[in-house]
Amino acid sequence: MDNAFPLALRFALREWRGGLRGFYVFIACVALGVFAIAGVGSISASLSDSLSRQARVLLGGDVTFALFQREATAQELSFLGNQGELSRVATLRGMARTAHDDFTLIDIKAVDSHYPLLGELTLDPPMPVPDIFAQRDGRYGAAVDPALLARLNLKVGDTVSIGQTSFQIRSSLTAEPDKLLGGITIGPRVLISIDALNTTGLLQPGALVRWTYRIKLANPSEAAVTQSTEQARRQFPQAGWEIRNSLNASPQLERNISRFTQFLALVGLTALLIGGIGVINAVRSHLERKRGVIATYKALGASAAMVFGIYLFQVLLLALLGSLIGAALGAALPYGVLMLFGHLLPLPIDASIHPGALALAFGYGVFAALAFALWPLGRVRDIPAAVLFRAEVSDEMPPPSLRQFVTPILAMALLAAAAVLLAYDRKIALIFVGVSLVVFLLLRVVALLTMAVARRVPRPNNTMLRLAVTNIYRPGALTPSVVLSLGLGLAALVTVTQIDANLRRQFSAALPERAPSFYFLDIPSAQSASFSEFVTALAPDARVEVVPMLRGRITAVKSTPAEQLKPPSDTEWVLQSDRGISYADKVPEGSKIVAGTWWAPDYNGKPLVSLEQKIADGLGLHLGDEITVNVLGRNITATVSNLRSVDWQNLGINFVLVFSPNTFRGAPHTDLATLTADLSTPADDANVTKRVAHAFPSVTSVRVRDALKSIGDIVTNLTLAIRGATLVTLAAALLVLGGALAAGHRHRVYDAVILKTLGAVRRQLIGAYAAEYALIGLATAVFGVAAGSIAAWQIVTRLMHLSFTWEAANAALVAAAALALTIGIGLAGTFMALRLKPATVLRNL
Amino acid sequence: MSLSTPAMDPPYGKRMDTRTAPSQTVLSDQPVISLSGIDLSLGRGAAKVHILRGIDLHVDPGETVGLIGPSGSGKSTLLMVMAGLERPDAGEVVIQGTSFNGLDEDGLARFRGRAIGIVFQSFHLIPTMTALENVAVPLELAGNIDATERAARELQAVGLGERLHHYPAQLSGGEQQRVALARALAPAPAILLADEPTGNLDEATGKQIVDLLFAMHETRDTTLVLVTHDAALAQRCGRTVRLRSGRIDG
Repeated sequence: MDNAFPLALRFALREWRGGLRGFYVFIACVALGVFAIAGVGSISASLSDSLSRQARVLLGGDVTFALFQREATAQELSFLGNQGELSRVATLRGMARTAHDDFTLIDIKAVDSHYPLLGELTLDPPMPVPDIFAQRDGRYGAAVDPALLARLNLKVGDTVSIGQTSFQIRSSLTAEPDKLLGGITIGPRVLISIDALNTTGLLQPGALVRWTYRIKLANPSEAAVTQSTEQARRQFPQAGWEIRNSLNASPQLERNISRFTQFLALVGLTALLIGGIGVINAVRSHLERKRGVIATYKALGASAAMVFGIYLFQVLLLALLGSLIGAALGAALPYGVLMLFGHLLPLPIDASIHPGALALAFGYGVFAALAFALWPLGRVRDIPAAVLFRAEVSDEMPPPSLRQFVTPILAMALLAAAAVLLAYDRKIALIFVGVSLVVFLLLRVVALLTMAVARRVPRPNNTMLRLAVTNIYRPGALTPSVVLSLGLGLAALVTVTQIDANLRRQFSAALPERAPSFYFLDIPSAQSASFSEFVTALAPDARVEVVPMLRGRITAVKSTPAEQLKPPSDTEWVLQSDRGISYADKVPEGSKIVAGTWWAPDYNGKPLVSLEQKIADGLGLHLGDEITVNVLGRNITATVSNLRSVDWQNLGINFVLVFSPNTFRGAPHTDLATLTADLSTPADDANVTKRVAHAFPSVTSVRVRDALKSIGDIVTNLTLAIRGATLVTLAAALLVLGGALAAGHRHRVYDAVILKTLGAVRRQLIGAYAAEYALIGLATAVFGVAAGSIAAWQIVTRLMHLSFTWEAANAALVAAAALALTIGIGLAGTFMALRLKPATVLRNL
Repeated sequence: MSLSTPAMDPPYGKRMDTRTAPSQTVLSDQPVISLSGIDLSLGRGAAKVHILRGIDLHVDPGETVGLIGPSGSGKSTLLMVMAGLERPDAGEVVIQGTSFNGLDEDGLARFRGRAIGIVFQSFHLIPTMTALENVAVPLELAGNIDATERAARELQAVGLGERLHHYPAQLSGGEQQRVALARALAPAPAILLADEPTGNLDEATGKQIVDLLFAMHETRDTTLVLVTHDAALAQRCGRTVRLRSGRIDG
């Protein structure tokens, strides 16, 4: 028929004149899922855009060159100076001391007079940058993080000592333009001049100082930036510097943003999947209501394809509407997040509309809604016109045809393929799709099992309990839809809460047994022995471990330059920046040799290296292969002598790369020490900090609890985002649950009226329904908790490589809440059914 | 409710136009409905019920036939078989020279749309469409470009010219059944099937509908088969066929 298309659309629209009643859950389900995906996509795109737009400011120049433990040579400096305006920045950790002898760890940033080349410092009180640092009355000046003022009970104008030098606090440092790409800071920032740093005594040979040379080009074009970068690589292949430029300011940060937002997007996709159940339920009950109309169309000569087309159009229009609402809300999310949580974000976000992200989410929404709706929609063809003569037609439907199976499965497969192909990490997306499929199938099995068990248990003598049990398996029972919607939502919720609880435990709860209390950085190697003695005297029961520490960057693996390597995502980090390296004459504590042998204590041959096994696997290194590391401006090529497995979680000193001692003989370096003792009170901690600082002014004490807390704070903010996304999933699950229960409302009313007519009182009816909801909810809760816990265990142990502890109380709480919600929402509908007068209903039966 | 006397003249020519005419030529000396050896069971297993047993029935063009019988005798099912809404287990249905055996579901739907009009006991109007749109549906499905105009003429013919834009819920039962009649007649079918057309109406309204049904039969020269419990209504038909336990009685 030529006009079939517009005709089906016309009929579809006519049917909506009665409003969208019955479709609100459909629209809300699609809108929620799209909102989550669009919102996450928009925030991610906003972050990436902001990073690109502000790359020069965040980087502090057009091109930067970072060196560890050494300053640039005269030749290098001359090259850098010729590129454009040059600024030099040194960052290191140190201890700040007050006149009252209070100490705290600080992150020092020492700058020259050109700082900042780009962007502006925000100071309170405001003042020209040179005024911060200038010497006045024989004292240098400093600008400090307000957190330092609070921690040491100081104010602007007070004096603080760093190493051998006293500084007057001239201003508090509200914002640094280049803070984000400076890495994680554990202590509060103190900004001083390089001239002042030189007087502190902290710059000993081998001290862990990062020197960054920033260049502002006269012409910051892409070509000029690229040329400058390439020229530096060509002219100084041995420099070992980490070069970054404004075209690719922080690939690591961008990767992390992509990876994190992918996790959030998967949570959003879960919301859409759960919403899909709502779509199925809504379409199914809509078609149920429309049986008469569908039959009438057929009786009047409409083909099955025409009738299918009419309802397909309706679904499509609803999906478009839901997706549009979701995309609009998602577009607004970056603005909302910025307004409410802007202060928590570590990145400067410029909220804006991102059509690409919105279109993707919109597409997901429309396609997912169609894919899910195709299941019930396929049955439209089977509704016989004979239902119009209802007295003689049974409710039996013919078994579904092959097409009814194939079409939705094909649509689902396309949806899954899109989710995988568009994902940042396809492996994780594939796992997600696989797990979703398995959970769907398992939930179907759980529903069937629940119904089978209810069918087989002996009939209770109590009428109402019998009603509850038989309701679980009767035709049109709520069991399948409630189990599916609640089960999926609950499994997702348990997964997230278990991961959340485990992450929090890792960073904020009790430290692992035998974990050190302190790290001490920058111990001059000449003072290593006296430092050990001093600390041992300070805490006689403590265990002190001292190891040499240098910083080095992997520049080549088996002669292939590091830039050309493409390691798996869990190994990438090792190539991204300089790493702590060490040397040892025996196997370090916490390590176990899994391949090869350790070198002899007096080994004096070609440099050998011991590698952490997983990293070696990731880099494709085997025993006998060579790896090149740039240390102190020298490329050192060492042969892999053995592989170790390392227990990172005891927080002891351990390194990915441990070299044979002869490799660094004579190289300037400092030592790193740990103190493992039972220092249970903050006063004990403060005492150690103070005494060490007095005796060894250049040594930096890092309290492990503080370091973990800093990381924990970041993790908390991240989990906040995950929780937000999970709330959307939960909302979708509740919507679907509500929708499923509402779909059974007609049966509830019928039962309630008949039973009331036969003498049942409200209390009995409520009891029967509550028992039914509780039984279904309990079966689902058991499955949801089990599935969610297994998923969380796998994610925590295999993706995050952390230990997993099952948080029973947490799981029980979630399960109890789910049970309460099922009974609560179910009974809310039941109360409505009970309010109806039997006579009114009976007349219309 | 007052019922205006409907115009009895057909709103357009007596015969269907070429776009909606069945492809087969109807010879006046051949039956327009021919059922041979119809057998039908419904349900499965223990619930299986043998509804129709070896029905042979032939209806000539222009004839009026009343199907009567007790509840469960198979009257409505027989009507469904004639309409192609139910496929018999055995036997052959030939309507206007077309055998249903050779048609698939969509072929049956298309044939029904142009050759058979059906009036239901419960009207089965589409609640979200106006009277005019309800009547236009079969014409639109058949691809008539003047569907709305023809539907309006049909509604005027049944006395509802003033109610074109009313929704079913805004119409009385009698008016709804007249809309259903107009809808059944709109494609100018050769056969009109009515299943208890007065079953949901009060006596006075029912009589008006029956009068209208027979008047339309007269003016449109259709073949009318109606299922009824009402002996008086059956008496108005040219022939009465009584069913008992799925068989034609006598």
